[in-house]
Parts: sequence; structure tokens; C-alpha cells
Amino acid sequence: MTLTGSIETREVRKGLRARRQVGSLPMSDNTNLDFEVEALSYMDQLYAAALRMTRNSADAEDLVQETYAKAFAAQDKFTPGTNLKAWLYRIQTNAFINSYRKKQREPKRTDADTVEDWQLASAAQHQSAGLASAEETALDALGDNEIRDALAELSDDFRMAVYLSDVEGFAYKEIAEIMDTPVGTVMSRLHRGRRMLREKLRDYAAEQGIRDYRAEAQS
Amino acid sequence: MPKRQCEEALNKLFEYIDGELSDEELLRIGSHLKECPPCEAERRINEKIRLLVSKAHSGQAPHQLRERVLSTIQMAREESHH
Repeated sequence: MTLTGSIETREVRKGLRARRQVGSLPMSDNTNLDFEVEALSYMDQLYAAALRMTRNSADAEDLVQETYAKAFAAQDKFTPGTNLKAWLYRIQTNAFINSYRKKQREPKRTDADTVEDWQLASAAQHQSAGLASAEETALDALGDNEIRDALAELSDDFRMAVYLSDVEGFAYKEIAEIMDTPVGTVMSRLHRGRRMLREKLRDYAAEQGIRDYRAEAQS
Repeated sequence: MPKRQCEEALNKLFEYIDGELSDEELLRIGSHLKECPPCEAERRINEKIRLLVSKAHSGQAPHQLRERVLSTIQMAREESHH
């Protein structure tokens, strides 16, 4: 990636975020309709996010319906022209945390997510060129199902942060609003979530490699 | 053992990829990546994982969900007119 390329990428990502915020609604009779149309336009994305969070389609549908019910009931609390998508995600995330997260299954991680933690966690190392190349090749061989399975194995907080960043392209500040945590906590969850994800993808690729090896050995 | 520049680049790699750095940091780290193949390899791998996660998640809400939500909104509208 060139130097200008990386600045361009950053500006494209910023532009995509800004576009979501554009469109201050005129205060007219059509205000409700504009809100409705825009809110509904995010349903596919909200459903996809709900599916990642709840990990089953029935709960995901319930969560999305609950989200829209709450959003429309609280419509007058939304300031037109601000980030409706993030506002909806915030409602859905809260609803998920309150209703669907199985509190017994996972320990609360929020207390452990300090700024110092993420600095420790992010100490990546150089790999040899051969290993790096092998890892890239192995990643290319993975299917969408395996990516989604690996993500599903992460704890809720890590999975949510990675999803909001990588799939939805929210900025750290926006993710902090949606998850109602400090930016430092978001960064910690992203660092650790992505490291765990990478480990799991390596495991998947290794399993596939063993399967391939056995299949070839038998042919 | 990575040098100080490598440490900074590796520590800020996610922020670099996520577009969260200032112009000055972007240029400084980008410049290091050009000169350091192992750090650049790390960037490529993490960038690739980000792309794969993004690519694996494109889909549509089920048809019946859309109908459920629309009828929920309809009921909410009718209630607010009472």
C-alpha cells in the first residue's frame, strides 16, 4: 500500500461514515416518513449484526423487531441529521445486553479492559517471511462459513467490537457510543478480539491442511 | 528483536488499518512499512483478516422479519393516534 494509498483509504472510510450522517431532515410533515424510511433501510445490517450477536436466527429476528419497536417509540428522542445508524445500533446493543446475553455463560470482561491491557495485548511480533506468506495463503483458502464460525467463538464484547469495526466500518468513537464504553475499552476489545480471531483462523486452516493431507495420502 | 520504529508500527497497526491515525502518524508509520518487510507483512495479514470478516457478512433480513417490523410500526402508529 502506498503512502497516499493509505491516506486515501482512511479518507474513504471517513467519507463513508460522514455520508451516513448527511441528510439533516427538514422539520416538515415528512419528518416522520424520512426517519422511517432511513431507519428501515438499515434492517438487513441490523439483522446481520443481531445474527452475529445472538448466533441463532429466531433470537436475531426477535432482537431486530424489539429494536425497531423501541426506536419508533423513542423517535422524538432522535435528533434529525445525527447518526441514525449508530443510534439504532446503540438501541440494539443495549437490548441484546439486557435480554439475550447469557450472563452465566461468560464472565464480565469490562472491568479487565484497561488502556494498559490493550497496549500489552497489541505487542505483535515479526514473523519470518516464509511463515507470513504461508499465513496469507492459508487465509485465502478459508470460506465465509469458517470466518463466521471463528467470529462466533469470540466472547460477546470482542465479537461485537470486531463486527462493528470490520463489517460496519464504525469509528472507534462511534463504537464507544454504541457499546457505552470508553474508547480505550473499545481499542482493547478490538486488539484482543482480533488476536483471538487470528489464532482461531490459524487453527481452522491447520485443520483443513490436515484434512487435505489425509485426503491426498489416501488417493 | 524489533527496533523502536517496528514497536511503534506494530503497536499502532490496527489504528493504521482502521484509519484512526493523524496524517502525521499515518505518514510516519506508512513510511516505516515501506522499509520494513516483516512489519508490512503483518499489515497485509491484518488487513486481509479485516477484509475477510467484512466479505463474510453480506446478507439480507428474512422476508418474514421485514413484515413483522412493518406491522409493529403500523401498530405503533395507530396507537399514537389514539
